[in-house]
Amino acid sequence: MNGLDDWLRQAAQHLAKDSAALVRGEIQEHYESAREAAMADGSSAEEAGNIALNSLGDAKTANCQYRRVLLTSVEARMLREGKLEARAVCSRPWLRWLLVAAPVALIEAASVFYFRGNAGLSRDLLLAGMGMSPWFAALLLPINTPLRGRIFRYTKWVLMTAAVVLLFGPDALKWSWLLISCLWPLAWTEWTRASIRRKLPVSAWPRHLYL
Amino acid sequence: MNFKGTLPTLILEALVQEPGHGYRIAQKIKERSQGVLDFKEGTLYPALHKLENEGMVESYESVENGRARRYYRITRSGRGMLAKDRAEWRQLSRAVTSILGEA
Repeated sequence: MNGLDDWLRQAAQHLAKDSAALVRGEIQEHYESAREAAMADGSSAEEAGNIALNSLGDAKTANCQYRRVLLTSVEARMLREGKLEARAVCSRPWLRWLLVAAPVALIEAASVFYFRGNAGLSRDLLLAGMGMSPWFAALLLPINTPLRGRIFRYTKWVLMTAAVVLLFGPDALKWSWLLISCLWPLAWTEWTRASIRRKLPVSAWPRHLYL
Repeated sequence: MNFKGTLPTLILEALVQEPGHGYRIAQKIKERSQGVLDFKEGTLYPALHKLENEGMVESYESVENGRARRYYRITRSGRGMLAKDRAEWRQLSRAVTSILGEA
């Protein structure tokens, strides 16, 4: 069984615990069937084990393909932490309203500074509020279908990009190093969520996966 | 011979008549192609999971010879996809045959 154990270890690398258990179960089952068939054809136990193992192919290739369809440990952690964050916010109504109030407060402050004659600061606050608003508005919007989720995500990125472009103006290129390092975690989260959405049926999506 | 990208279609075809577990599906494909189509069986399951994620097949647990096994059966969407793939394959095959000429 050593060869099979090595194969399974490689094939289940970086997969979430549940996914790895699924892989081990189905491959072991397959291996046993192939081994029994080879023994029925007259092979010795050792030969049959080798035939069954060879028929599985390369473990790294299988791992690569498994990672495209089953949750990886990183994705499972993101899913778990997203659920915890959502629960933390939803179970504390004051926190929810505080988060919603943040961009509203920025936009209000922008109007105050505008009327006091500080147009530059007012514009910056307005754009910061605009960039933040999709994140907090999501708490109140009924985003519970894939189509609504898609529309929300497009709007979110358009608003954020518009806020960044307007905020930095012609200096956007000069500050690109800062923008890339700030937006990289957001882009990475978006990419990982898209990957999770592909792997889970819609019925199993938690709310934060729509956003 | 390994035709890249045809494995999902071959799996659906193998499940048209009756549900089956992974090993049986692999054997069916190899037998029906008379050993011409060879694929590594470790890549069969990721393809099965992908089809399941897309709603083309569904799985259930069943016991065979005292051993619990995961069986797969084709869904209505899976049959629709298979019909579409068959039509595309016939068209492609006719086109290639008309270029290369029939032996």
